[in-house]
Amino acid sequence: MFNKILLLIITLLLSLLASGQTKTAVTSKQAKITDEINLSPSDIELFKEQTKQKIEELQQYIVTLGNKDEPAEKRNMAEKEALKLFYTGAQMEISTIMPDGSIQKINRPMEKYLARLKSLPFTRVVIKFYDIAYISEFTKGPDGKYYSTATIIQEFTGFSNDDIVYKDVTKKDVEIIIDLVEDKFFNEKRWKIFLGDIKATETKPGIL
Amino acid sequence: MIRFISLYYRSIGSCLSISFLLFFNSNCFSQKIVSTQKTNEEIFLARIKQFNEFLDRFNYKTDFNGNQVDSVFKRKMPRGKFLNSIFDLKDKRILSGVDSYSKSYIDLKSAFIDEVLAGGRKINKYSPNIIAEARSRIVYKNAPQTISIFLSQEIIGENKVKWVILDVKGDIMNFLKADTAYVRFIPPTSNETDFINLKRALEDSDHLQYYASRDFRFDPVSVFFYCINSKLIRFEYVEQVIYHILDIPGWCIKVRDFNRNELNSGWLISDVGKNSLDRISYLKTLK
Repeated sequence: MFNKILLLIITLLLSLLASGQTKTAVTSKQAKITDEINLSPSDIELFKEQTKQKIEELQQYIVTLGNKDEPAEKRNMAEKEALKLFYTGAQMEISTIMPDGSIQKINRPMEKYLARLKSLPFTRVVIKFYDIAYISEFTKGPDGKYYSTATIIQEFTGFSNDDIVYKDVTKKDVEIIIDLVEDKFFNEKRWKIFLGDIKATETKPGIL
Repeated sequence: MIRFISLYYRSIGSCLSISFLLFFNSNCFSQKIVSTQKTNEEIFLARIKQFNEFLDRFNYKTDFNGNQVDSVFKRKMPRGKFLNSIFDLKDKRILSGVDSYSKSYIDLKSAFIDEVLAGGRKINKYSPNIIAEARSRIVYKNAPQTISIFLSQEIIGENKVKWVILDVKGDIMNFLKADTAYVRFIPPTSNETDFINLKRALEDSDHLQYYASRDFRFDPVSVFFYCINSKLIRFEYVEQVIYHILDIPGWCIKVRDFNRNELNSGWLISDVGKNSLDRISYLKTLK
């Protein structure tokens, strides 16, 4: 009897997940042939919507991380949660316009980038994102995952007491990956969105 | 509140469309940049933020706001004017009163636009004739250098896509020198002396190609891979990407990112020229 109830609950949950905008490979054997599983155009549209939500989540975490008025616990939590959005090994590449007009690029693991955001040498930091997110069409890679890029614009202002001591506007191109991940509880694979590498480009030299 | 925000951004979008129509209409005819004070939001919405977005605009698929091009937009902004807006409008060749002003380039540009319009030409997003040149910083013998790595898209199976390395160019690849003054060869009887001459030949390191068979073709990609593998070259990062698009028959356009705080910014056409070569022959012409 217990087994029957458990089976019913699992079936219900599975159908909920299926209708919850994810595509599932019912068995792990099927999941191994990821590259043969295609997302339908309507699935991709739904994932595009989910991508917007993920990007908004990231933006919110970055704003919280940079905000020195927030309690340390909340900022630590934001750092932890932000990292969960990313694929393991994701990097942040920051390009800076040098005074002579040349471009210098620095690569940092995402963990380091997020940790640095918490300890910037300003008494107050204001990070604002423009309501512009351009998300390109998803394209399937040879590994069966789907890839896209989202572009967001960030305005950063650093204060020393009440004075603005640094301000810049950066364009961030975020790699988006839809991957089949194993759900150990249900012994199945589900499509999930991850954020990948980010290319941050300073759009004009930092003011001040 | 959400409604207010949504209305606010909708109004920005509308204002932007109007700004654009005014901006690009004036540009189409006078080819001059009108200096207007725009908010960062307006500028970034207008900016061609990704190469993908550039293709959508070239193909007249999406408008300045990223919406699908509809009949209303088509009436206000015919494709010819729209195509003009994805060129670098600060190109000195199109600005009258400047030394580098070039009537022939303006004519070439117009001929290109006319041909695209007449043939209803579009660029295939996954065309093998889209070549990305990644100008990259490397360190060779402890000194930084710039090389160009050329990549194109390869379709696997039905719908899987990846970028592959087509060619590599740079000073470090030009180590073989041409010389017509001397005849270089390994003599016909060298075999009888256990190829003593081979040492002499291989010490002639600038002209090694003359000792190879007539089928020898210098393969820069293999050389590059070897240099990376043996740690002779350390790859640092890509400094700039330039797309060479040969997908419109008879033409080549170059597209690059113009990082400036203006409406005409982002991924724009920096050059247009006639081209009758296939992509491999085209690559050979590049230095």
